[in-house]
Amino acid sequence: MAMPYVSEEKKALSASVAKRRRKWQSYALLFILPSFILYALFVIVPTASSAYLSFTSWDGVSSDIRYIGFANFEEIWHSERVHNALKNTLLITAALVVLENVVAIALAMLVDNVRWLRNLFRTVFYFPVLLSGIVMGFIWNIILNYNFGVLNQLLAKIGLESIAIDWLGDPNYAMISIILSTVWKSAGYYMVIYLAGLQSIPADLSEAAAIDGANRWQQFRHVTLPLLAGAMTVCSVLSMIGSLKIFDQIAVMTDGGPGFATETLTYIIYKVGFSEMRQGFGTAMALVLFLLILIITVIQVKVLRKREVQL
Amino acid sequence: MDRRRKWSNAILFLITLALAVVFFFPIFFNLMSAFKSNPEIMRDAVAFPKTFYLESFEYLLTETDFPAAIANSLLLTLLSILFMVLIIPMAGYAIERHDRPWTRFVFVFYLAGMMIPFQAYMIPLFKELKMLGLFGNLSGPIAIYISGSVGFGCLLYTSFLKGIPREIEESAEMDGCTRYGIFWRIVFPLLGPCTASMIVLQGLGIWNDFLMPMLVLPSGEPKTMIVEIFYYVGEFSSRWDMIFAGTTLSIVPVLIVFVFLQKYFVKGLASGAIKG
Repeated sequence: MAMPYVSEEKKALSASVAKRRRKWQSYALLFILPSFILYALFVIVPTASSAYLSFTSWDGVSSDIRYIGFANFEEIWHSERVHNALKNTLLITAALVVLENVVAIALAMLVDNVRWLRNLFRTVFYFPVLLSGIVMGFIWNIILNYNFGVLNQLLAKIGLESIAIDWLGDPNYAMISIILSTVWKSAGYYMVIYLAGLQSIPADLSEAAAIDGANRWQQFRHVTLPLLAGAMTVCSVLSMIGSLKIFDQIAVMTDGGPGFATETLTYIIYKVGFSEMRQGFGTAMALVLFLLILIITVIQVKVLRKREVQL
Repeated sequence: MDRRRKWSNAILFLITLALAVVFFFPIFFNLMSAFKSNPEIMRDAVAFPKTFYLESFEYLLTETDFPAAIANSLLLTLLSILFMVLIIPMAGYAIERHDRPWTRFVFVFYLAGMMIPFQAYMIPLFKELKMLGLFGNLSGPIAIYISGSVGFGCLLYTSFLKGIPREIEESAEMDGCTRYGIFWRIVFPLLGPCTASMIVLQGLGIWNDFLMPMLVLPSGEPKTMIVEIFYYVGEFSSRWDMIFAGTTLSIVPVLIVFVFLQKYFVKGLASGAIKG
Protein backbone atom coordinates (compact mmCIF):
# COMPACT_ATOMS: atom_id res chain seq x y z
CA MET A 1 0.00 0.00 0.00
CA ALA A 2 2.83 2.38 0.86
CA MET A 3 4.70 1.87 -2.40
CA PRO A 4 2.39 3.65 -4.87
CA TYR A 5 2.00 6.50 -2.43
CA VAL A 6 5.74 7.13 -2.29
CA SER A 7 6.07 7.00 -6.05
CA GLU A 8 3.23 9.51 -6.35
CA GLU A 9 5.12 11.83 -4.08
CA LYS A 10 8.30 11.24 -6.04
CA LYS A 11 6.49 12.01 -9.25
CA ALA A 12 5.17 15.24 -7.84
CA LEU A 13 8.62 16.06 -6.55
CA SER A 14 10.36 15.32 -9.84
CA ALA A 15 7.71 17.31 -11.68
CA SER A 16 8.39 20.27 -9.46
CA VAL A 17 12.15 19.79 -9.92
CA ALA A 18 11.70 19.75 -13.69
CA LYS A 19 9.58 22.87 -13.48
CA ARG A 20 12.19 24.58 -11.35
CA ARG A 21 14.90 23.55 -13.80
CA ARG A 22 12.97 25.03 -16.70
CA LYS A 23 12.46 28.21 -14.75
CA TRP A 24 16.14 28.34 -13.90
CA GLN A 25 16.94 27.92 -17.59
CA SER A 26 14.96 31.01 -18.52
CA TYR A 27 16.43 32.98 -15.62
CA ALA A 28 19.96 31.98 -16.64
CA LEU A 29 19.22 33.23 -20.12
CA LEU A 30 17.94 36.49 -18.68
CA PHE A 31 21.00 36.87 -16.44
CA ILE A 32 23.47 36.29 -19.25
CA LEU A 33 21.69 38.25 -21.97
CA PRO A 34 22.77 41.85 -21.11
CA SER A 35 26.47 41.02 -20.99
CA PHE A 36 26.15 38.85 -24.08
CA ILE A 37 24.55 41.62 -26.14
CA LEU A 38 27.18 44.18 -25.11
CA TYR A 39 30.06 41.76 -25.64
CA ALA A 40 28.80 40.66 -29.05
CA LEU A 41 28.08 44.23 -30.13
CA PHE A 42 31.28 45.93 -28.94
CA VAL A 43 33.91 43.18 -29.11
CA ILE A 44 32.87 40.43 -31.50
CA VAL A 45 31.16 42.43 -34.26
CA PRO A 46 34.04 44.95 -34.59
CA THR A 47 36.62 42.15 -34.50
CA ALA A 48 34.79 40.40 -37.32
CA SER A 49 34.52 43.67 -39.28
CA SER A 50 38.26 44.10 -38.77
CA ALA A 51 38.80 40.83 -40.56
CA TYR A 52 36.70 42.15 -43.44
CA LEU A 53 38.21 45.66 -43.55
CA SER A 54 41.72 44.26 -43.69
CA PHE A 55 41.00 43.25 -47.27
CA THR A 56 40.00 46.79 -48.27
CA SER A 57 41.70 50.12 -48.91
CA TRP A 58 39.31 52.04 -46.61
CA ASP A 59 40.56 55.43 -45.38
CA GLY A 60 38.34 55.49 -42.29
CA VAL A 61 36.09 58.36 -43.38
CA SER A 62 34.67 57.92 -46.86
CA SER A 63 31.96 55.43 -47.72
CA ASP A 64 34.23 54.10 -50.45
CA ILE A 65 35.32 50.71 -49.10
CA ARG A 66 37.09 48.93 -51.93
CA TYR A 67 38.05 45.26 -51.81
CA ILE A 68 41.72 44.87 -52.70
CA GLY A 69 42.37 41.22 -51.84
CA PHE A 70 45.60 40.44 -50.05
CA ALA A 71 47.30 43.72 -51.06
CA ASN A 72 47.50 44.98 -47.45
CA PHE A 73 49.07 41.75 -46.25
CA GLU A 74 51.53 41.80 -49.14
CA GLU A 75 52.51 45.32 -48.17
CA ILE A 76 53.01 44.22 -44.56
CA TRP A 77 55.19 41.37 -45.78
CA HIS A 78 57.43 43.72 -47.81
CA SER A 79 57.34 47.01 -45.87
CA GLU A 80 60.63 47.97 -44.20
CA ARG A 81 58.79 50.13 -41.72
CA VAL A 82 56.64 47.20 -40.58
CA HIS A 83 59.69 44.95 -40.33
CA ASN A 84 61.38 47.55 -38.16
CA ALA A 85 58.28 47.85 -35.95
CA LEU A 86 58.06 44.07 -35.65
CA LYS A 87 61.73 43.89 -34.70
CA ASN A 88 61.25 46.64 -32.08
CA THR A 89 58.14 44.93 -30.68
CA LEU A 90 59.85 41.56 -30.37
CA LEU A 91 62.95 43.16 -28.82
CA ILE A 92 60.88 45.08 -26.25
CA THR A 93 58.83 41.97 -25.50
CA ALA A 94 61.81 39.67 -25.03
CA ALA A 95 63.60 42.19 -22.81
CA LEU A 96 60.48 42.95 -20.75
CA VAL A 97 59.45 39.33 -20.18
CA VAL A 98 62.92 38.48 -18.87
CA LEU A 99 63.58 41.65 -16.87
CA GLU A 100 60.09 42.04 -15.38
CA ASN A 101 60.12 38.45 -14.14
CA VAL A 102 63.67 38.58 -12.78
CA VAL A 103 63.02 41.86 -10.96
CA ALA A 104 59.62 40.67 -9.72
CA ILE A 105 61.05 37.43 -8.30
CA ALA A 106 63.90 39.36 -6.66
CA LEU A 107 61.45 41.83 -5.10
CA ALA A 108 59.15 39.03 -3.96
CA MET A 109 62.07 37.18 -2.32
CA LEU A 110 63.19 40.36 -0.57
CA VAL A 111 59.70 41.26 0.67
CA ASP A 112 59.10 37.67 1.77
CA ASN A 113 62.33 37.47 3.78
CA VAL A 114 62.77 40.98 5.13
CA ARG A 115 62.17 41.28 8.87
CA TRP A 116 60.89 44.83 9.23
CA LEU A 117 58.36 47.03 7.37
CA ARG A 118 57.34 44.17 5.10
CA ASN A 119 53.90 45.60 4.24
CA LEU A 120 55.29 49.06 3.59
CA PHE A 121 57.86 47.65 1.16
CA ARG A 122 55.22 45.63 -0.66
CA THR A 123 53.06 48.73 -1.01
CA VAL A 124 55.93 50.88 -2.29
CA PHE A 125 57.00 48.32 -4.90
CA TYR A 126 53.39 48.12 -6.07
CA PHE A 127 52.83 51.91 -6.32
CA PRO A 128 54.10 52.33 -9.93
CA VAL A 129 51.50 49.79 -11.09
CA LEU A 130 48.84 52.32 -10.16
CA LEU A 131 50.08 54.96 -12.61
CA SER A 132 48.77 55.33 -16.13
CA GLY A 133 51.30 54.82 -18.92
CA ILE A 134 50.91 58.50 -19.83
CA VAL A 135 51.70 59.79 -16.33
CA MET A 136 54.55 57.34 -15.92
CA GLY A 137 55.91 58.35 -19.33
CA PHE A 138 55.79 62.03 -18.44
CA ILE A 139 57.59 61.52 -15.12
CA TRP A 140 60.36 59.57 -16.85
CA ASN A 141 60.49 62.19 -19.62
CA ILE A 142 61.47 64.76 -17.06
CA ILE A 143 63.82 62.45 -15.16
CA LEU A 144 65.60 61.53 -18.40
CA ASN A 145 65.50 65.00 -20.02
CA TYR A 146 68.88 65.88 -21.49
CA ASN A 147 69.22 69.45 -20.20
CA PHE A 148 67.15 69.67 -17.05
CA GLY A 149 66.57 66.02 -16.18
CA VAL A 150 67.19 64.53 -12.76
CA LEU A 151 69.44 61.77 -13.99
CA ASN A 152 71.88 63.97 -15.85
CA GLN A 153 71.81 66.51 -12.98
CA LEU A 154 72.69 63.75 -10.55
CA LEU A 155 75.50 62.59 -12.83
CA ALA A 156 76.78 66.17 -12.93
CA LYS A 157 76.63 66.41 -9.13
CA ILE A 158 78.92 63.44 -8.71
CA GLY A 159 81.28 64.82 -11.34
CA LEU A 160 80.27 62.67 -14.26
CA GLU A 161 79.02 65.45 -16.55
CA SER A 162 81.06 64.04 -19.40
CA ILE A 163 78.85 60.96 -19.67
CA ALA A 164 75.54 62.89 -19.65
CA ILE A 165 73.37 61.04 -22.12
CA ASP A 166 70.44 62.14 -24.24
CA TRP A 167 68.40 59.21 -22.92
CA LEU A 168 65.36 59.69 -25.14
CA GLY A 169 66.86 61.57 -28.08
CA ASP A 170 69.63 59.12 -28.86
CA PRO A 171 68.34 56.11 -30.84
CA ASN A 172 70.75 53.82 -28.99
CA TYR A 173 69.38 54.74 -25.58
CA ALA A 174 65.70 55.51 -26.33
CA MET A 175 64.81 51.83 -26.43
CA ILE A 176 66.70 51.08 -23.21
CA SER A 177 64.95 53.99 -21.49
CA ILE A 178 61.53 52.72 -22.54
CA ILE A 179 62.33 49.18 -21.41
CA LEU A 180 63.77 50.10 -18.01
CA SER A 181 61.02 52.56 -17.15
CA THR A 182 58.41 49.94 -18.08
CA VAL A 183 60.12 47.40 -15.82
CA TRP A 184 59.86 49.97 -13.03
CA LYS A 185 56.15 50.34 -13.73
CA SER A 186 55.16 46.67 -13.99
CA ALA A 187 57.50 44.67 -11.74
CA GLY A 188 55.29 45.24 -8.67
CA TYR A 189 52.33 43.63 -10.37
CA TYR A 190 54.16 40.36 -10.95
CA MET A 191 55.81 40.60 -7.54
CA VAL A 192 52.38 40.26 -5.93
CA ILE A 193 51.66 37.07 -7.90
CA TYR A 194 55.09 35.62 -7.01
CA LEU A 195 54.55 36.56 -3.36
CA ALA A 196 51.32 34.56 -3.33
CA GLY A 197 53.28 31.67 -4.86
CA LEU A 198 56.05 31.95 -2.25
CA GLN A 199 53.57 31.97 0.59
CA SER A 200 52.05 28.71 -0.62
CA ILE A 201 55.40 26.89 -0.42
CA PRO A 202 55.62 25.00 2.89
CA ALA A 203 58.60 26.14 4.99
CA ASP A 204 59.70 22.59 5.83
CA LEU A 205 60.86 22.01 2.23
CA SER A 206 63.57 24.67 2.47
CA GLU A 207 64.39 23.52 6.01
CA ALA A 208 64.83 19.96 4.78
CA ALA A 209 67.14 21.20 2.03
CA ALA A 210 69.11 23.21 4.59
CA ILE A 211 69.54 20.15 6.80
CA ASP A 212 70.81 18.29 3.76
CA GLY A 213 73.49 20.95 3.47
CA ALA A 214 72.09 23.15 0.72
CA ASN A 215 73.19 26.77 0.94
CA ARG A 216 70.82 29.71 0.42
CA TRP A 217 71.37 29.90 -3.32
CA GLN A 218 70.92 26.14 -3.76
CA GLN A 219 67.71 26.26 -1.72
CA PHE A 220 66.44 29.02 -3.98
CA ARG A 221 67.60 27.38 -7.19
CA HIS A 222 66.47 23.82 -6.49
CA VAL A 223 63.52 24.19 -4.10
CA THR A 224 61.90 27.62 -4.37
CA LEU A 225 62.30 28.36 -8.07
CA PRO A 226 60.84 25.06 -9.37
CA LEU A 227 57.85 25.54 -7.08
CA LEU A 228 57.32 29.04 -8.48
CA ALA A 229 56.98 27.64 -12.01
CA GLY A 230 53.17 27.95 -11.89
CA ALA A 231 53.37 31.62 -10.98
CA MET A 232 56.05 32.01 -13.64
CA THR A 233 53.75 30.65 -16.34
CA VAL A 234 51.08 33.16 -15.38
CA CYS A 235 53.46 36.09 -15.05
CA SER A 236 55.39 35.53 -18.24
CA VAL A 237 52.21 35.08 -20.28
CA LEU A 238 50.72 38.25 -18.80
CA SER A 239 53.92 40.24 -19.28
CA MET A 240 54.28 38.92 -22.82
CA ILE A 241 50.76 40.03 -23.78
CA GLY A 242 51.25 43.38 -22.05
CA SER A 243 54.59 43.99 -23.79
CA LEU A 244 53.28 43.14 -27.26
CA LYS A 245 50.56 45.77 -26.68
CA ILE A 246 52.89 48.48 -25.29
CA PHE A 247 51.61 51.90 -26.37
CA ASP A 248 51.04 54.71 -23.84
CA GLN A 249 54.62 55.25 -22.68
CA ILE A 250 55.85 55.30 -26.27
CA ALA A 251 53.23 57.88 -27.21
CA VAL A 252 54.40 60.25 -24.51
CA MET A 253 58.12 59.46 -24.24
CA THR A 254 59.37 59.12 -27.82
CA ASP A 255 56.42 59.26 -30.24
CA GLY A 256 57.99 56.23 -31.92
CA GLY A 257 61.23 58.10 -32.48
CA PRO A 258 63.90 59.23 -32.74
CA GLY A 259 63.30 58.37 -36.38
CA PHE A 260 61.56 55.02 -36.11
CA ALA A 261 63.80 53.71 -33.33
CA THR A 262 60.98 52.90 -30.89
CA GLU A 263 58.04 52.45 -33.23
CA THR A 264 56.14 49.29 -32.27
CA LEU A 265 53.30 47.41 -33.98
CA THR A 266 50.58 49.00 -31.84
CA TYR A 267 52.07 52.41 -32.53
CA ILE A 268 52.25 51.89 -36.27
CA ILE A 269 48.62 50.69 -36.28
CA TYR A 270 47.59 53.91 -34.56
CA LYS A 271 49.74 56.12 -36.80
CA VAL A 272 48.69 54.49 -40.04
CA GLY A 273 45.02 54.38 -39.09
CA PHE A 274 44.53 57.80 -37.55
CA SER A 275 47.23 60.15 -38.90
CA GLU A 276 47.81 58.66 -42.31
CA MET A 277 44.15 57.70 -42.77
CA ARG A 278 44.81 54.20 -44.07
CA GLN A 279 42.49 52.25 -41.84
CA GLY A 280 42.20 49.22 -44.12
CA PHE A 281 45.96 48.78 -43.83
CA GLY A 282 45.76 49.49 -40.08
CA THR A 283 43.21 46.72 -39.48
CA ALA A 284 45.32 44.28 -41.51
CA MET A 285 48.24 45.00 -39.22
CA ALA A 286 46.02 44.73 -36.15
CA LEU A 287 45.02 41.24 -37.24
CA VAL A 288 48.66 40.31 -37.67
CA LEU A 289 49.30 41.55 -34.12
CA PHE A 290 46.37 39.50 -32.81
CA LEU A 291 47.66 36.36 -34.52
CA LEU A 292 51.14 37.03 -33.16
CA ILE A 293 49.77 37.28 -29.61
CA LEU A 294 47.69 34.14 -30.08
CA ILE A 295 50.54 32.02 -31.45
CA ILE A 296 53.17 33.17 -28.95
CA THR A 297 50.78 32.67 -26.01
CA VAL A 298 49.87 29.13 -27.05
CA ILE A 299 53.53 28.13 -27.51
CA GLN A 300 54.54 29.82 -24.27
CA VAL A 301 51.83 28.12 -22.21
CA LYS A 302 52.68 24.71 -23.71
CA VAL A 303 56.42 25.08 -23.02
CA LEU A 304 56.06 26.55 -19.54
CA ARG A 305 53.36 24.13 -18.35
CA LYS A 306 55.80 21.25 -18.92
CA ARG A 307 58.22 22.78 -16.43
CA GLU A 308 55.68 23.09 -13.64
CA VAL A 309 56.10 20.88 -10.60
CA GLN A 310 53.03 19.57 -8.84
CA LEU A 311 53.28 19.62 -5.07
CA MET B 1 74.97 31.83 14.51
CA ASP B 2 72.61 34.30 16.10
CA ARG B 3 74.89 37.22 15.32
CA ARG B 4 75.32 36.06 11.76
CA ARG B 5 71.56 35.93 11.36
CA LYS B 6 71.24 39.43 12.79
CA TRP B 7 73.77 40.72 10.28
CA SER B 8 72.11 39.04 7.34
CA ASN B 9 68.73 40.43 8.43
CA ALA B 10 70.19 43.92 8.59
CA ILE B 11 71.83 43.62 5.16
CA LEU B 12 68.64 42.26 3.64
CA PHE B 13 66.72 45.16 5.14
CA LEU B 14 69.19 47.71 3.77
CA ILE B 15 69.05 46.24 0.26
CA THR B 16 65.25 46.26 0.31
CA LEU B 17 65.23 49.81 1.64
CA ALA B 18 67.59 51.01 -1.09
CA LEU B 19 65.41 49.43 -3.77
CA ALA B 20 62.28 50.90 -2.18
CA VAL B 21 63.88 54.36 -2.38
CA VAL B 22 64.68 53.82 -6.06
CA PHE B 23 61.12 52.61 -6.72
CA PHE B 24 59.48 55.41 -4.80
CA PHE B 25 61.69 58.22 -6.07
CA PRO B 26 59.90 58.95 -9.40
CA ILE B 27 56.55 59.24 -7.63
CA PHE B 28 58.02 61.33 -4.86
CA PHE B 29 59.71 63.49 -7.51
CA ASN B 30 56.35 64.03 -9.19
CA LEU B 31 54.53 64.98 -5.98
CA MET B 32 57.37 67.28 -4.96
CA SER B 33 57.66 69.01 -8.34
CA ALA B 34 53.95 69.87 -8.31
CA PHE B 35 54.73 72.34 -5.52
CA LYS B 36 57.65 74.01 -7.30
CA SER B 37 57.54 76.82 -9.84
CA ASN B 38 58.75 76.17 -13.35
CA PRO B 39 62.11 78.00 -13.02
CA GLU B 40 62.69 76.12 -9.76
CA ILE B 41 62.23 72.78 -11.52
CA MET B 42 64.49 73.81 -14.39
CA ARG B 43 67.23 75.14 -12.14
CA ASP B 44 67.50 72.13 -9.87
CA ALA B 45 65.14 69.25 -10.46
CA VAL B 46 66.26 67.32 -7.38
CA ALA B 47 66.00 70.16 -4.83
CA PHE B 48 63.11 70.36 -2.37
CA PRO B 49 60.49 73.06 -3.00
CA LYS B 50 61.49 76.33 -1.34
CA THR B 51 57.95 77.50 -0.74
CA PHE B 52 54.66 75.70 -0.90
CA TYR B 53 53.93 76.85 -4.46
CA LEU B 54 50.28 76.34 -5.39
CA GLU B 55 49.95 78.56 -8.46
CA SER B 56 50.28 75.71 -10.94
CA PHE B 57 47.25 74.02 -9.35
CA GLU B 58 45.40 77.33 -9.37
CA TYR B 59 46.21 77.95 -13.01
CA LEU B 60 45.26 74.39 -13.98
CA LEU B 61 41.94 74.53 -12.16
CA THR B 62 40.88 78.03 -13.24
CA GLU B 63 42.47 78.74 -16.63
CA THR B 64 42.25 75.38 -18.40
CA ASP B 65 39.75 72.65 -19.21
CA PHE B 66 41.14 70.43 -16.49
CA PRO B 67 38.15 70.64 -14.10
CA ALA B 68 35.84 69.45 -16.87
CA ALA B 69 38.30 66.64 -17.63
CA ILE B 70 38.29 65.63 -13.94
CA ALA B 71 34.50 65.52 -14.06
CA ASN B 72 34.63 63.37 -17.20
CA SER B 73 37.12 60.95 -15.69
CA LEU B 74 35.05 60.60 -12.53
CA LEU B 75 31.77 60.18 -14.39
CA LEU B 76 33.22 57.70 -16.85
CA THR B 77 34.81 55.58 -14.12
CA LEU B 78 31.83 55.62 -11.76
CA LEU B 79 29.14 54.98 -14.38
CA SER B 80 31.11 52.18 -16.04
CA ILE B 81 31.65 50.51 -12.67
CA LEU B 82 27.98 50.89 -11.74
CA PHE B 83 26.78 49.18 -14.92
CA MET B 84 29.48 46.53 -14.62
CA VAL B 85 28.21 45.64 -11.15
CA LEU B 86 24.63 45.49 -12.44
CA ILE B 87 25.46 43.28 -15.41
CA ILE B 88 28.53 41.11 -14.86
CA PRO B 89 27.95 39.36 -11.48
CA MET B 90 24.56 38.11 -12.74
CA ALA B 91 26.18 36.58 -15.80
CA GLY B 92 28.94 34.98 -13.73
CA TYR B 93 26.32 33.54 -11.37
CA ALA B 94 24.25 32.00 -14.17
CA ILE B 95 27.36 30.56 -15.83
CA GLU B 96 28.64 28.96 -12.62
CA ARG B 97 25.36 27.70 -11.12
CA HIS B 98 23.48 26.74 -14.28
CA ASP B 99 26.13 24.40 -15.63
CA ARG B 100 24.93 23.39 -19.12
CA PRO B 101 26.73 23.03 -22.45
CA TRP B 102 25.39 26.38 -23.63
CA THR B 103 26.55 28.28 -20.53
CA ARG B 104 29.95 26.58 -20.80
CA PHE B 105 30.13 27.78 -24.39
CA VAL B 106 29.24 31.34 -23.35
CA PHE B 107 32.01 31.24 -20.74
CA VAL B 108 34.68 30.16 -23.23
CA PHE B 109 33.33 32.71 -25.71
CA TYR B 110 33.77 35.45 -23.08
CA LEU B 111 37.24 34.31 -22.07
CA ALA B 112 38.40 34.28 -25.70
CA GLY B 113 37.79 38.04 -25.76
CA MET B 114 40.54 38.54 -23.21
CA MET B 115 43.05 37.58 -25.92
CA ILE B 116 41.89 40.19 -28.44
CA PRO B 117 43.93 43.37 -28.20
CA PHE B 118 41.93 46.61 -28.33
CA GLN B 119 43.91 47.72 -31.38
CA ALA B 120 42.61 44.71 -33.28
CA TYR B 121 39.06 46.01 -33.31
CA MET B 122 39.25 49.71 -32.54
CA ILE B 123 38.99 50.97 -36.09
CA PRO B 124 35.65 49.32 -36.99
CA LEU B 125 34.45 50.01 -33.45
CA PHE B 126 34.46 53.75 -34.08
CA LYS B 127 32.47 53.33 -37.23
CA GLU B 128 29.99 51.21 -35.33
CA LEU B 129 29.69 53.78 -32.53
CA LYS B 130 28.91 56.43 -35.12
CA MET B 131 26.23 54.23 -36.64
CA LEU B 132 24.65 53.64 -33.23
CA GLY B 133 24.87 57.32 -32.31
CA LEU B 134 27.19 56.61 -29.39
CA PHE B 135 30.15 58.49 -30.83
CA GLY B 136 31.21 61.75 -29.23
CA ASN B 137 29.70 61.32 -25.77
CA LEU B 138 30.36 59.25 -22.67
CA SER B 139 27.89 56.46 -23.49
CA GLY B 140 30.21 54.94 -26.13
CA PRO B 141 33.23 54.57 -23.84
CA ILE B 142 31.01 53.23 -21.03
CA ALA B 143 29.59 50.52 -23.31
CA ILE B 144 33.11 49.64 -24.48
CA TYR B 145 34.45 49.41 -20.93
CA ILE B 146 31.64 47.11 -19.79
CA SER B 147 32.04 44.86 -22.85
CA GLY B 148 35.78 44.75 -22.35
CA SER B 149 35.39 43.63 -18.71
CA VAL B 150 32.95 40.80 -19.33
CA GLY B 151 35.64 38.11 -19.71
CA PHE B 152 37.73 39.13 -16.72
CA GLY B 153 34.65 39.78 -14.57
CA CYS B 154 33.01 36.42 -15.27
CA LEU B 155 36.30 34.66 -14.56
CA LEU B 156 36.56 36.45 -11.23
CA TYR B 157 32.95 35.72 -10.20
CA THR B 158 32.82 32.08 -11.31
CA SER B 159 36.03 31.23 -9.44
CA PHE B 160 34.72 33.00 -6.33
CA LEU B 161 31.28 31.36 -6.54
CA LYS B 162 32.83 27.90 -6.48
CA GLY B 163 33.69 28.54 -2.85
CA ILE B 164 30.12 29.47 -1.84
CA PRO B 165 27.86 26.51 -0.90
CA ARG B 166 24.54 26.16 -2.75
CA GLU B 167 22.48 25.05 0.27
CA ILE B 168 21.30 28.53 1.19
CA GLU B 169 20.09 29.19 -2.34
CA GLU B 170 18.31 25.83 -2.46
CA SER B 171 16.42 26.41 0.77
CA ALA B 172 15.47 29.91 -0.34
CA GLU B 173 14.16 28.37 -3.54
CA MET B 174 12.05 25.89 -1.54
CA ASP B 175 10.61 28.88 0.29
CA GLY B 176 9.42 30.19 -3.06
CA CYS B 177 12.00 32.88 -3.67
CA THR B 178 12.62 33.62 -7.37
CA ARG B 179 16.10 33.25 -8.85
CA TYR B 180 16.21 36.99 -9.29
CA GLY B 181 15.47 37.54 -5.62
CA ILE B 182 17.87 34.78 -4.57
CA PHE B 183 20.65 36.38 -6.56
CA TRP B 184 20.28 39.97 -5.47
CA ARG B 185 19.18 39.35 -1.86
CA ILE B 186 21.24 36.31 -0.89
CA VAL B 187 24.12 35.65 -3.28
CA PHE B 188 25.18 39.16 -4.28
CA PRO B 189 25.88 40.31 -0.70
CA LEU B 190 28.11 37.23 -0.24
CA LEU B 191 30.09 38.27 -3.33
CA GLY B 192 31.20 41.55 -1.69
CA PRO B 193 34.97 40.92 -1.72
CA CYS B 194 34.79 39.77 -5.33
CA THR B 195 32.81 42.84 -6.36
CA ALA B 196 35.32 45.04 -4.52
CA SER B 197 38.17 43.43 -6.47
CA MET B 198 36.42 43.96 -9.77
CA ILE B 199 35.63 47.57 -8.91
CA VAL B 200 39.17 48.52 -7.91
CA LEU B 201 40.95 46.69 -10.74
CA GLN B 202 38.63 47.75 -13.56
CA GLY B 203 38.16 51.22 -12.04
CA LEU B 204 41.93 51.71 -12.07
CA GLY B 205 42.12 50.62 -15.70
CA ILE B 206 39.37 53.03 -16.75
CA TRP B 207 40.74 55.95 -14.73
CA ASN B 208 44.16 55.45 -16.34
CA ASP B 209 42.97 54.61 -19.87
CA PHE B 210 44.30 56.74 -22.68
CA LEU B 211 43.91 55.60 -26.27
CA MET B 212 40.18 54.84 -26.36
CA PRO B 213 38.87 58.02 -24.69
CA MET B 214 41.29 60.09 -26.77
CA LEU B 215 39.90 58.65 -29.99
CA VAL B 216 36.21 58.37 -29.06
CA LEU B 217 35.46 61.55 -27.11
CA PRO B 218 34.62 64.61 -29.22
CA SER B 219 37.58 66.69 -30.35
CA GLY B 220 37.69 70.31 -29.27
CA GLU B 221 36.06 69.50 -25.94
CA PRO B 222 37.76 68.46 -22.70
CA LYS B 223 38.24 64.68 -22.58
CA THR B 224 39.60 62.77 -19.57
CA MET B 225 42.39 63.76 -17.18
CA ILE B 226 44.89 61.38 -18.71
CA VAL B 227 44.12 62.54 -22.27
CA GLU B 228 44.40 66.20 -21.24
CA ILE B 229 47.75 65.50 -19.57
CA PHE B 230 48.93 63.92 -22.81
CA TYR B 231 47.88 67.02 -24.78
CA TYR B 232 49.53 69.35 -22.26
CA VAL B 233 52.82 67.49 -22.63
CA GLY B 234 52.74 68.49 -26.30
CA GLU B 235 51.21 71.96 -25.89
CA PHE B 236 52.79 73.32 -22.73
CA SER B 237 56.15 71.64 -23.14
CA SER B 238 57.71 74.47 -21.14
CA ARG B 239 55.21 74.43 -18.25
CA TRP B 240 56.29 71.33 -16.41
CA ASP B 241 54.95 72.67 -13.11
CA MET B 242 51.45 72.70 -14.51
CA ILE B 243 51.69 69.19 -15.91
CA PHE B 244 53.09 67.92 -12.61
CA ALA B 245 50.08 69.48 -10.88
CA GLY B 246 47.86 67.58 -13.32
CA THR B 247 49.58 64.24 -12.85
CA THR B 248 49.44 64.74 -9.09
CA LEU B 249 45.68 65.28 -9.25
CA SER B 250 45.36 62.03 -11.21
CA ILE B 251 47.65 59.99 -8.91
CA VAL B 252 46.54 61.07 -5.44
CA PRO B 253 42.98 59.65 -5.54
CA VAL B 254 44.36 56.34 -6.78
CA LEU B 255 46.99 56.19 -4.04
CA ILE B 256 44.34 56.91 -1.39
CA VAL B 257 41.97 54.23 -2.70
CA PHE B 258 44.86 51.79 -2.92
CA VAL B 259 46.07 52.35 0.63
CA PHE B 260 42.58 51.61 2.00
CA LEU B 261 41.55 48.79 -0.33
CA GLN B 262 44.92 47.20 -0.90
CA LYS B 263 43.81 43.64 -0.19
CA TYR B 264 41.20 43.75 -2.96
CA PHE B 265 43.80 44.80 -5.54
CA VAL B 266 45.93 41.84 -4.51
CA LYS B 267 43.09 39.30 -4.23
CA GLY B 268 41.74 40.19 -7.65
CA LEU B 269 45.20 39.82 -9.15
CA ALA B 270 45.64 36.39 -7.64
CA SER B 271 42.31 35.10 -8.95
CA GLY B 272 42.61 36.95 -12.24
CA ALA B 273 45.98 35.31 -12.64
CA ILE B 274 44.44 31.84 -12.79
CA LYS B 275 43.48 32.55 -16.37
CA GLY B 276 47.07 31.91 -17.57
